[in-house]
Amino acid sequence: MKNKRQHTSITIPKILFEKIQKRIENTGFTSVSDYVTYVMREVTASLEEEEKKGQVFSKKEEEKVKQRLKALGYIK
Amino acid sequence: MGAELLVIGIDAATWAIIDRHLDKLKTFKMLKTHKEYKSKVLTLDQKPYSAPCWVSIFSGKTEEEHRHHEFVVDNEIQTRDDIKVDFIWDILKRTGKKVKALNVPFIVPPYNFNINFEAPGLGIPSNREEWDAEIAEVTNRAIETLRNENLDLFVVCYVSLDKLQHFHWGEKIVEEYYEKIDETIDKLISFGKKLIIISDHGFCAFGEAKIQTLPRITKDGTELKGDHHENAVLITKNIKTEINNLRDVFKAIKEVFK
Repeated sequence: MKNKRQHTSITIPKILFEKIQKRIENTGFTSVSDYVTYVMREVTASLEEEEKKGQVFSKKEEEKVKQRLKALGYIK
Repeated sequence: MGAELLVIGIDAATWAIIDRHLDKLKTFKMLKTHKEYKSKVLTLDQKPYSAPCWVSIFSGKTEEEHRHHEFVVDNEIQTRDDIKVDFIWDILKRTGKKVKALNVPFIVPPYNFNINFEAPGLGIPSNREEWDAEIAEVTNRAIETLRNENLDLFVVCYVSLDKLQHFHWGEKIVEEYYEKIDETIDKLISFGKKLIIISDHGFCAFGEAKIQTLPRITKDGTELKGDHHENAVLITKNIKTEINNLRDVFKAIKEVFK
């Protein structure tokens, strides 16, 4: 079965493009597109991670939260 | 830098206290008297209870529609994923708007959108040290963001007033924290071209509200000093949409970015 990859184009300022070209010289990146894709994946993943942070409690914290909610009258 | 629209949420802020101490609450006094601002009592047409009310404010849906009733259901602390609605920030982000929401208390810990923040006191600040920490840390994070970014919408909320009123309604400490919130609002308002200040409900002594939403003695034996009230606080600047219930806040925000 053919592995069909889907891509689309975006535009970036030419100066930024040239900066990236210089930056990826002698690295594993073979094109500016590959580098930008890599950076955007990292940034997106990091943002998603940040959004989730603070939303999850340890078991001990969870009990403390429930205790506090009980004291406030939010658990009946 | 700043935001086209700044929304400040103050959980359980009530006109009953603000009006009684207006001489000490300089920012509220200015907001009530300056012609640039509109202020009113927003009487809720739904149960005055934080978890569902904050969802109504930012989703435009009634409690029956969004079905988020409690912070804990079947012994499970509810998370964003348990609430099957799009919030205003989800909708605006899809249209390319730059949006951040900080410390929105419809779940515990309060929800953050597109911003990293760890709420003091596990999101339920329960003593003076944690109330102070919440007010200071949320404000610092908000100001740091608003000073460095050009946002379309920035939402920032505080929960300390609600928590301390549960335990101390009628005591001097309540006024003290209204003064702290008053100073906080003063630090923030200049960052928004348009402004909405909203509380999810008010607060009162037991028996003064139409519906009793809190028990006098909680399940763990704590004696509560007051109850939620149906009259909430609303202050706006440069907002054209008439806000007559909590869901209208969602409509008003949407209208700004139409």
